Amino acid sequence: MYLLRLALASLNNRKFTALLTMLAIALSVCLLLAVERVRSEARSSFASTISGTDLIVGARSGSVNLLLYSVFRIGNATNNIRWSSYEWLAENPKVKWAIPISLGDSHRGYRVMGTDTGYFQHYHYGRGKSLQLAKGRPFNDVFDVVLGAEVASALNYKLGDSIVLAHGVSEVSLTKHDDKPFRVSGILAQTGTPVDRTLHISLGGIEALHVDWQNGVPAQSKGRISSDQARALNLQPKAITAVLLGLNSKIATFALQRQINEYSGEPLQAILPGVALQELWSLMGTAEKALFVVSLFVVLTGLIGMLTAILTSLNERRREMAILRSVGARPWHIASLLILEAFSLALAGVLLGLLLLYLGIAVSQGYIQANYGLYLPLSLPGSYEWSLLGAILAAALLMGSVPAWRAYRQSLSDGLSIRL
Amino acid sequence: MPRYLLVLLFLSITPSWAADVRELTWSEMIPPDAPVQETSDAPIHDLSKLADILSAESAPAATQQSPAAPVVPSLDGQLVKLPGYIVPLDVTDDGKVTEFLLVPYFGACIHVPPPPSNQIVLVKFPKGVELDALYEPFWIQGPLKAENSSSELADAGYLMDADDVYAYQQPAE
Repeated sequence: MYLLRLALASLNNRKFTALLTMLAIALSVCLLLAVERVRSEARSSFASTISGTDLIVGARSGSVNLLLYSVFRIGNATNNIRWSSYEWLAENPKVKWAIPISLGDSHRGYRVMGTDTGYFQHYHYGRGKSLQLAKGRPFNDVFDVVLGAEVASALNYKLGDSIVLAHGVSEVSLTKHDDKPFRVSGILAQTGTPVDRTLHISLGGIEALHVDWQNGVPAQSKGRISSDQARALNLQPKAITAVLLGLNSKIATFALQRQINEYSGEPLQAILPGVALQELWSLMGTAEKALFVVSLFVVLTGLIGMLTAILTSLNERRREMAILRSVGARPWHIASLLILEAFSLALAGVLLGLLLLYLGIAVSQGYIQANYGLYLPLSLPGSYEWSLLGAILAAALLMGSVPAWRAYRQSLSDGLSIRL
Repeated sequence: MPRYLLVLLFLSITPSWAADVRELTWSEMIPPDAPVQETSDAPIHDLSKLADILSAESAPAATQQSPAAPVVPSLDGQLVKLPGYIVPLDVTDDGKVTEFLLVPYFGACIHVPPPPSNQIVLVKFPKGVELDALYEPFWIQGPLKAENSSSELADAGYLMDADDVYAYQQPAE
């Protein structure tokens, strides 16, 4: 115990260097943990976004692409599919339920999705949880909109509010559907998935928005159709973006996938969400590993910085060591003093790093969720993170033994005889 | 002196140039008397209807594997061990696969139809298996359930609540 006190007192004597060393270690630890946390949270949030959907059908593109735009609202669809294809799918005896999805519009950076009420019933996330309405009810009018939890809280919308949707998916939109405002009819409970950042309207609503568009331009004065006029029109969609399918028998998945891929009506693609996720992970895996290795090297750099600081100080502390020896300290006392010094520096660095990490998460949580859709919880480190921290401390001990060994070998006379 | 004049000239020019900017909206770029175009009811990609016409000419879309292929009833209830590839259906938050289809070959080959239903096992494994790549074979072990069904609505084929799932090792030659 007195050794630890001595080591700390000695460090106190070199406050500035010690503090800097500690800071270097803290920053590197913070980086390592942040990379690890973002990696694991990104995975789990992706994995918990879709559950219970057996097939996703869209226009032919790539399986990862289709998964990303239909479920995660990342990227855009390559093409729409015909309504008749949806009807063909929905009538298939292997299909239990089919949810049509229509994308392409937005509201202040949040995507708008046209669907039917089956979505609220059949869409599941996070191991079989279904969507719950926190307030209000699903849409039943053409101009009703159901908000995701984050849309409502970030933009401060209440039931009954009137909102204007925009054409395209940019955050600041210059082309707005301001002639046809929507009314908030319901707000969904928080799910922690992209559903929170989505505005849900009926397929008829999507049709109504674009009913008077001609050749890709909103109608001019004469051709304009008002909300009430639009209501009276036939708003049967002609095309949708994707379909989520639930099957009666999971064993029939491949059979139906093949049938859809070979559909003669139009080019369709069916993917298994689990397989597409796996493909996405193997893509991301390389980048993850690279980031992890880089942050490991940063930690190593921090530790080597500590080693350098201690080794340089050895020379100026020959006096200190010699005095300790002369009052009765044995060589192993000196050695353990140095190891303790390294260990306490690393421990303080790790603790400060953890503090920085949690501070960083607390500060940036809202921003990251709003901009990247990634929820970083303020949870205690998991077993893997603990083992990483343990490994850092062990490495510090190992490194501390280098100056310890050198001090151990220095003789008593080394510091007492002053050479000029 | 001319220099001062030049400065004066600049001072007088800049503001008038700024005042000349006209803010334009996109709809102003269309002449007001432009004829209103007829809305057509044609879907976005009408050409795809061609496929409908052609489909009468072409062979029927892939004769599907029988969805309710017969199973071997004597296998029902037996404790078995079977190698195959995992097609994930349900994945936990930490990336473990808890429900999957086990197939004899991985679906990269699209030249032939997928395996019939008696060549697929629907496996539930609550403990979850970590899947690094789709192309790695695994052993599954547990009691096999064989369900014969003539309708497409029930789970026809083989089911298993696996006791153990582990990586397949290439047997030594």
